[in-house]
Amino acid sequence: MKIALSTLAGAALALGLISAPAMAEDQGIIVYNAQHESLAKEWAAGFTKETGIKVTLRNGGDSDFSNQIVAEGAASPADVFLTENSPAMALVEAAGLFAPVDADTLAQVPQEYQPSSGKWVGVAARSTVFAYNKDKLKEDQLPKSLLDLADPGWKGRWAASPSGADFQAIVSALLQIKGEAATADWLKAMKANFTAYKGNSTIMKAVNAGEIEGGVIYHYYYIGDQAKTGENSKNVGLHYFKNQDPGAFVSVSGGGVLASSKHPKEAQAFLKWVTGKGGQDVLKTGTSYEYAVGKGDESNPKLVPLADLQAPKVDPATLNSKKVIDLMTQAGLL
Amino acid sequence: MEIAASNDDRLRLEPLTRLIRSLPPYGAGDMVARLMQSAIDMMPAKLPAAGMKKRRSTSWITLAAALIALIALLPLAFIVWVAIQTGWDTVVALILRPRVGELLVNTVLLVAVTVPIAIVLSVALAWLTERSDLPGNRWWSWLSVAPLAIPAFVHSYAWISFVPGLHGLWAGVLVSVIAYFPFLYLPIAAALRRLDPALEDAAAALGLDPWRVFARVVLPQLRLAVCGGSLLVGLHLLAEYGLYVFIRFDTFTTAIVDQFQSTFNGPAANMLAAVLVVCCLFLLALEVMVRGEERYARVGSGAARQQQRARLGRATLPCLLLPAGVALLSLGVPFVTVGRWLLAGGTDVWRWDEIGLALGQTLFLAIAGAVLATLAAMPMAWISIRAPGPLQRLLESCNYIVGALPGVVIALALVTITVRVALPLYQTLFTILFGYALMFLPRALISLRASIAQAPVELERAASSLGRSPVKALWSTTIRLSAPGAAAGMAMVALGITNELTATQMLAPNGTRTLAMAFWSYSGEIDYASAAPYALIMVAMSLPMTWWLYVQSKRMAGR
Amino acid sequence: MSFLELSGVAKNYGPVAALAGVDLKVESGSRTAIVGPSGCGKTTLLRLIAGFEAPDRGRIALDGKVLANGGAAVPAHRRGIGVVAQDGALFPHLSIADNIGFGMARSEDKRMERIVELAYIVGLDKAILKRRPHELSGGQQQRVALARAMAMKPRLMLLDEPFSALDTGLRASMRKAVAELLEEAGITTILVTHDQAEALSFASQVAVMREGLFSQVGTPRELYFQPRDRMVAEFLGDAIIVPARIADGFAVSRLGRIAVDTKERRDVARIMLRPEQVLLKRTSREGMSGTPDMLFGEVTDCEFAGSVCTVAVRLLNSPDPPDAAAIGNTPLVLRRTGMDAPAVGEIVRLTVTGKAHVFA
Repeated sequence: MKIALSTLAGAALALGLISAPAMAEDQGIIVYNAQHESLAKEWAAGFTKETGIKVTLRNGGDSDFSNQIVAEGAASPADVFLTENSPAMALVEAAGLFAPVDADTLAQVPQEYQPSSGKWVGVAARSTVFAYNKDKLKEDQLPKSLLDLADPGWKGRWAASPSGADFQAIVSALLQIKGEAATADWLKAMKANFTAYKGNSTIMKAVNAGEIEGGVIYHYYYIGDQAKTGENSKNVGLHYFKNQDPGAFVSVSGGGVLASSKHPKEAQAFLKWVTGKGGQDVLKTGTSYEYAVGKGDESNPKLVPLADLQAPKVDPATLNSKKVIDLMTQAGLL
Repeated sequence: MEIAASNDDRLRLEPLTRLIRSLPPYGAGDMVARLMQSAIDMMPAKLPAAGMKKRRSTSWITLAAALIALIALLPLAFIVWVAIQTGWDTVVALILRPRVGELLVNTVLLVAVTVPIAIVLSVALAWLTERSDLPGNRWWSWLSVAPLAIPAFVHSYAWISFVPGLHGLWAGVLVSVIAYFPFLYLPIAAALRRLDPALEDAAAALGLDPWRVFARVVLPQLRLAVCGGSLLVGLHLLAEYGLYVFIRFDTFTTAIVDQFQSTFNGPAANMLAAVLVVCCLFLLALEVMVRGEERYARVGSGAARQQQRARLGRATLPCLLLPAGVALLSLGVPFVTVGRWLLAGGTDVWRWDEIGLALGQTLFLAIAGAVLATLAAMPMAWISIRAPGPLQRLLESCNYIVGALPGVVIALALVTITVRVALPLYQTLFTILFGYALMFLPRALISLRASIAQAPVELERAASSLGRSPVKALWSTTIRLSAPGAAAGMAMVALGITNELTATQMLAPNGTRTLAMAFWSYSGEIDYASAAPYALIMVAMSLPMTWWLYVQSKRMAGR
Repeated sequence: MSFLELSGVAKNYGPVAALAGVDLKVESGSRTAIVGPSGCGKTTLLRLIAGFEAPDRGRIALDGKVLANGGAAVPAHRRGIGVVAQDGALFPHLSIADNIGFGMARSEDKRMERIVELAYIVGLDKAILKRRPHELSGGQQQRVALARAMAMKPRLMLLDEPFSALDTGLRASMRKAVAELLEEAGITTILVTHDQAEALSFASQVAVMREGLFSQVGTPRELYFQPRDRMVAEFLGDAIIVPARIADGFAVSRLGRIAVDTKERRDVARIMLRPEQVLLKRTSREGMSGTPDMLFGEVTDCEFAGSVCTVAVRLLNSPDPPDAAAIGNTPLVLRRTGMDAPAVGEIVRLTVTGKAHVFA
């Protein structure tokens, strides 16, 4: 036993030494990253290259991280929080856990892509779309509004990923624009009509394969796949709701520095870099195909320009994720 | 993917330890555990109890075991605590809602359809490989165990890229049967191998034709194996996450993870977990009831004679179709799919720095978790052999019940406990290893029990009489002699950790990315090609353990 | 024509010949014991008769009906032959009553009554019927197995070492009880055993088997006192075997002049005595003188073991033939009752009763 144990312990220790740098070594700043891993990696690599400050990413989702940060409170190991959507940022902000974002960082981003409080800042944006199978749906058959999908005629014909923060953000916009009663009714109708998938990529793949006629997702899944092989999107068309419809909602991805950060200077520097030229260029030239939000920073030319989307006006700080989850849980979507 | 689970006959009130059993009659438990248990149960009935002189060391070991059992009960206690904190009205509102009903129907249907199919398939395969002259039966037998080397979510990944759009209950049943039937095949094959052929001869001599002999003599004696294996499959069905996400089939576990991702440790997730725990306990109880108090071993002494294999004759060819078809579905599909993605991905998907890191971290977690689980299992194992009694049975059943809980429940409990009570421990290596130890303790426990049972207590006494202190005596005799069993247990725990996804995702420290996590992340972004190398590595790591399991099951059954 | 006839029955397991051509006749209503060391093929023979396996060659006929001929065989479940296995082979998942009634049709009239009756016949209490096999003692299990086999009213009963798992005391009484029971029921019985005392006491016909062949078949008395060869002799009990010259119905050996069971004349022969044929009478060294025909010995060892003692006697005045001298003066090993066993060092006079058997 002694031999076996000590050998094993030794082996474990040796392996730990080899493999655990990410666990044990100086981790630099810790970023709770709910953004796409590939995008965050590019940002982190670019930032480290420029400043020499190390970045450790912990990847997860908007909702679990925001709740986690709230639960962790002042003891959170996180320095920076990056999300895909605003409600998660709003939750952490409401708990009073963000430090104010440096003024020169805020100055890099237009007012509409940051909360009025200035506790966090938009780092990217994405537009809601209705992705549809071009063989199954003609343009005149497309829904005029997101609300149309609640009609019985759409029963069994559309998909969504209700457990994802992306869709929950869209619902939060709906809640903000139309109010609680209308949202609850819409969710109830959705429960009867829609087919649940896990993840927007999966929805697009299913739409492409003709398993389902259409689905509510964000724009960049399609663009990204088209830029690669297009194998999961060749039969897919994108329909933008526009008209200030809730379905035209542009979701702002947020970044914030935690008040409890032990490396506030480095964390602020990271946020500044991400919203600055370097970070926004990654959006323009990289493979994320999310919209750049920095002042004067252009998005990838493959995208429909942000200005043409006719998105509804929603203050990202007011999006209430908790209420959305409650409503969705009540509707039996979660 | 895996929840090692074991409950025990110790759940029952009567001391049944003296019964010799053909197969270990406790409920769940992974196969090795069961097989080793059977080795213990086959041993001469009376285990030397600790003498008066050993009082002191017994009591401190008992204390340690009690402590570990209490700690193991944390997740259960936590769920009760959350329920109380949440308030009765909210609990009722969260549990008695249509969504829970839906999930319950899904889960019940899944178990109720999958398990019988798996039973029929396993009995047929086991009979063909063990009791007929099917050409290459040893080879088919191994192929019927090998699917265990493929994590369930890799099975599902293979199927979804093989038949896109596969979804729903029947898809769930198909992939579940394929991924989990070996849990039934192994004990049934072992039981068949150990059946005393004299019973079948006796029935034939009493005028029963071969079919009736099978129905009235062979099948009833497989009951223990079928019950135990079914429980194991059932618990895995309840605990599995990745498999059902791929094929879009909602169960309690997927719903809990959804809730966790939406609300972190909200009461809704915890109440779903509570219902899931009730489901698990229901399965455990059901198995105890169905299994009954039967004893299906040979009555009498002496070695059973070699069994005769049935001649298939002209039926050989059609009979070959069954194992060949099963192997094609359970091994062919995953290997072809992974191979296809690897080909499609070319050298680009072999990002060695990433893969190396994931491999290193996985091995580290697996080995460290295995060491911890084994150390934690030692006091309990020692007591169950050296000082069995009502207290020991109670303590041991605590460990087994916790081991039967899905990883998602244990992880959720640990997240909430550490966040609310012990924040410095939150998302630390300690917590994840602790979680692994809770989940996989039964595996380590049963392996250790088997090997301690083989180390005679006289040696300990001799060492004591030679002037060693009780602890040193224990160390220099029993613990050293049980090293092989401990190593086997550790290997099984390590395998379980390697393929674990749900709890790892929820508990892992910052910067952790295990093989399973990397696989899951890539396949979530439908980058199936990049996920393929991870699938291949997980399978390659699991194959030797599965082979060992197979060999062990043959040996335990006396071949 | 006999009730059961086996002719030239052979069975191979791979290259190993388990049975190398066996002939046997069993009369209706008789009891036959097949005895031999383990691995001699006796159980295989039983399995061929029961129909669990088919012979490679040879013919088995029961009551004039061919059961097996070459590879073709009637399967076990159509033979109507009862079998009681070594450990009873009770079905562990069934109660005792269901075990006994296993071979009966489930719809059979008065099934339970029959079961109770059978239990009574084999000497089992009615209360036991609800129990499970593992709750019974070994002897009770054997009785259940017997009742179960008798329930189908077999013409032939095969007993495969049914008493070997029982305690010594129980074994003898069980054996006697079973013998009487089967006799009464008029069921022809074949017993397979490795215990020679069991074989001799149980059967009217004993067949000694060795390496797949019968060494000798006959009545117990024939086999014990007139074994065909040394192997049979020693298998069935202790034997004193010495070289001798025989003529005129007497053998001359180192044991002196002993009557033999043959009139032939041979210069080189071997004779066999059972130890119980040699009697000892205490005497002293002084008593040895002047009696040249008499045989004396000195007790060199005496092992007390309760009712029976093993006594070793070294011959003092044996008229040793030359070839025996080469072996040395090996002591005779005899058994005596504990009561009158001589002590070590005592001088005894040896006398032989009955006739010695001359090996062919």
